[in-house]
Amino acid sequence: MKKIKNPLIRRIPKELIGDWKKYLVVFLFLVLTIGFVSGMYVANESMITSANEGVTKYKQEDGHFELKKQADATLLSAIETGEKADFKATKTTLYENFFRNEEEDYNNDGKKDGTIRVFAKTKDINLACMLQGSFPQKADEIAIDRMHADNVGIKVGDTVTVSGETYKVVGLLAYVNYSTLHEKTTDLMFDALKFDVAMVTQDGFDRLHKSIHYTYAWKYETEPADEAGEKTSSDNFMRALLTQVVVADNELEDYTPKYGNPAINFATDDMGSDKAMGGVLLDILVVIIAFIFAVTISNTIAKESSAIGTLRASGYTKGELVRHYLSMPVIVTLLAAIVGNILGYTVFKNIVVSMYYNSYSLPTYYTIWNPDAFFKTTVVPVILMLVVNLIVIVRMMQHTPLQFLRHDLKKTKNKKAMRLPGWSFFGRFRLRIMFQNVTNYLILFVGIFFIMVMLAMAVGMPDTLDYYKSNTDGMMFAKYQYVLKSYEDDDNKRITTENKDAEKFNMTSLVKKSDVLDEEISVYGIADNSNYVKIKKLSSLKKNEVYISTSFADKYGLTVGDTVSLDEKYENKSYKFKVAGFYDKSQSLALFMSIDNYGKVFDLKENEFSGFLSDSRITDIDEENIATTITIRDITKMADQLDHSMGSYMNYFQILCILLAAVMIYLLTKLIIEKNENAISMTKILGYENKEIASLYLLSTSIVVVIADLISVILGTLVMAAAWRMMLFSYSGWFTFRVTPIGYAKMFGFVLIGYLIVMVFDFQRIKKIPMDQALKNVE
Amino acid sequence: MSEEEKKFLEIVDLKKGFGSGQTRQEVLRGMNFSVAKGEFCVLLGPSGSGKSTLLNIIGGIDNADSGYININGDKLEDMSEKKLTQYRRKHLGYVFQMYNLIGNLNVKENIEVGAYLSDNALDIDDLLHTLGLYEHRYKLPNQLSGGQQQRVSIGRAIVKNPDILLCDEPTGALDYNTSKEILKLIEEVNQKYGNTIIMVTHNEAIKNMADHVIKLRDGAVRHNDINTNKVSAEDLEW
Repeated sequence: MKKIKNPLIRRIPKELIGDWKKYLVVFLFLVLTIGFVSGMYVANESMITSANEGVTKYKQEDGHFELKKQADATLLSAIETGEKADFKATKTTLYENFFRNEEEDYNNDGKKDGTIRVFAKTKDINLACMLQGSFPQKADEIAIDRMHADNVGIKVGDTVTVSGETYKVVGLLAYVNYSTLHEKTTDLMFDALKFDVAMVTQDGFDRLHKSIHYTYAWKYETEPADEAGEKTSSDNFMRALLTQVVVADNELEDYTPKYGNPAINFATDDMGSDKAMGGVLLDILVVIIAFIFAVTISNTIAKESSAIGTLRASGYTKGELVRHYLSMPVIVTLLAAIVGNILGYTVFKNIVVSMYYNSYSLPTYYTIWNPDAFFKTTVVPVILMLVVNLIVIVRMMQHTPLQFLRHDLKKTKNKKAMRLPGWSFFGRFRLRIMFQNVTNYLILFVGIFFIMVMLAMAVGMPDTLDYYKSNTDGMMFAKYQYVLKSYEDDDNKRITTENKDAEKFNMTSLVKKSDVLDEEISVYGIADNSNYVKIKKLSSLKKNEVYISTSFADKYGLTVGDTVSLDEKYENKSYKFKVAGFYDKSQSLALFMSIDNYGKVFDLKENEFSGFLSDSRITDIDEENIATTITIRDITKMADQLDHSMGSYMNYFQILCILLAAVMIYLLTKLIIEKNENAISMTKILGYENKEIASLYLLSTSIVVVIADLISVILGTLVMAAAWRMMLFSYSGWFTFRVTPIGYAKMFGFVLIGYLIVMVFDFQRIKKIPMDQALKNVE
Repeated sequence: MSEEEKKFLEIVDLKKGFGSGQTRQEVLRGMNFSVAKGEFCVLLGPSGSGKSTLLNIIGGIDNADSGYININGDKLEDMSEKKLTQYRRKHLGYVFQMYNLIGNLNVKENIEVGAYLSDNALDIDDLLHTLGLYEHRYKLPNQLSGGQQQRVSIGRAIVKNPDILLCDEPTGALDYNTSKEILKLIEEVNQKYGNTIIMVTHNEAIKNMADHVIKLRDGAVRHNDINTNKVSAEDLEW
């Protein structure tokens, strides 16, 4: 007779059909997770590839610097060759990349809506990919950033007002050096709402009046081989540059190598970290599902113990049975991975792409096959599923055929029944159910915990941003901080203002160096009895004694008496300050000293100052003399941007978490009820009503869910707060993760909602268990 | 019949006990007998006489403390767990008091579970006719009566045409008429396929249909008789 196929294989489709609700839930759960992560991998890789290709195609800079005055040909040549440096400098080619920061009024209502950085059209460096429309040809035509246009509702053909001049929008573009709209390199977050980059013709550029930023982009003559080489090249270049600039009697205003430019790197770095986070999330969810599968299989094996014993006694090997029980989770995962990947390459990729296009200004992309995505979303889930289940099934299959035949699968033998307190019969019954299902409840707890970590993010992020935005007024010590280019104008006359609110102050940026990042710290010199920064005894502090902002203290764990060491950004000079106290009205990382001490520490000339603090707008200072104005927008823009790009997703994420909680609780409570089907059936025979049975079996689970929910709210928030700290530590700036009391209630409530949905199904399931179930002896 | 065929299954000084110290209980106290090839042997005895333990040791799913079992020249004691599994796979069929069928496989598929283990399996449709289950072959176990389910379990054991069919109280859970049906089936299988059958039972009446009757009490063989007045299962009464 022809050797027949293993008939146990035929159980698999029957099992799938017989328990289709469970497998459908697991399948959909995996498909959606795998699909989304696969889509994320494919979209990321495709977009990163096109971004990388854009580096050459659109002539992306290797870095840029800004000079106070326009450089002459001699200086430019010296910088390019490094000829005046006393060491072997990095050779480069320089390109003018001048811009003006103008006021944008996109709805033409006469009010400033944001800042627009206008570049003249060039063919040499930092080109733009035109996504819609065409490049400007006339003096009154402008092409603006596509993402900003999408976010504020500008379309090709609209007009925008730039510092009073009207331009027609002829194109929507993506500059190769502005994949995110970071106004400054020190900005923690980009700002696609109130910051824009634009291209005009040279004539169009000349129509504008704000001061020109003399920015020069460079390309290395010899491309550095790696990141370390890039750093060395940049360090050498900057050392030489500083010498050349001083010799030419010019000043370096800004220096940003490509690797330190968030406008270039943020998007690709963020996509990379999204990918890593998505991957970890997928692994965690697959492991949870794997454990749910393992517990299900473990219960099935216990239920089919006699049949397994008979099969083993008949000569079926352990391996054959292990493979049989292992096949279901592996097949379901593999199918889910295949379908998930198909959806990943089609539907989910587009969702992720639109998410990224909503936040990043990226060039057009084309989808590329991604072996990483295949490995991460197909091979890894299958392996995880296989390993977790293999361990559990192999352990179960260690029992002898005789043990299977005798249903003797408990690890501990002759276990005595635990004595319970003298509670009511129902109370003790519930306690027994809890002890019986300890493993299921543990998995339930772990699952709820992971969901709560995600919920902490989904609820905590909007809470944190809301708190941050609603408290900004209290965190701004002045509504305007005017930082001047110099305290004297071109005629060497001291700059003054008639504004009654105005108060002189000093400010500079120093760098706090750490292994993770070199972070800019604002150092303020504040007038005695200041109306804006009210710190008692500030003037009586010793030369190097300072107050620091609470954000600064919080981020670096500083306390009173500690010494802070800060460095000059572009010079080899260090300062040490002793912390004398904290100032809580500043969200930025800042350090405060008296204006006199400031002058001494930084060797300022008498009466030299950086600018004015004011609660009202200063109108009598020539714009040409103002380097920058820090307003409330600068403080809130990060929160605004985070809220805009992630806020709406957080609502979806909250719903996803409720569904996740429901799915997981459904799968585990289903197991608990199935395990007790005979007992439930028997209680029905004895005359118990469905309500009473539900109060026994469902209330036990309810108690566990509520306790797990409560504990997980606390643990999940702690974990998320720690993750938030770790995440923000590698960024410049700081704000603490916060969850409001309502937020905690939401987190608790969302999991409970998930459970309540499941409870309805569970009650139906209990109602459906027939009374003859307990009397059947068929397996 | 050759000497080897007469000693197809040989049990030599087989001992087995459970527990230790004062709670130690000797279940098999040095058991010796042999069963000939193709013989229908009944192990008879009251509860606790050691008959099921003996059957399990013969089936290689339990171990003796001392002594050995020789089946067709192979000593079970010398076999590793893997070899024992292969041995069971090739040479043994098992029928238990409870049918232990796979709930979501139909009658035919449950029998195929046994057939899969053999390179020389019987024709399943033929067997289904023999078992009287051909009309029920697409039914699931829970659609069958107890007797029908036991037929399926016999079919599953016999389909691989084992050298020895071990039956542990196969009629223990069945009523009189159904029990007789099952015994007739086992008799028919024995006659048709020539398998050696060892059946454990506490039903004295069944000894009458056996070729060889071994009575156990307190872990020892009390009677070892060859039945010369064998009657057919049809004529059994109890």
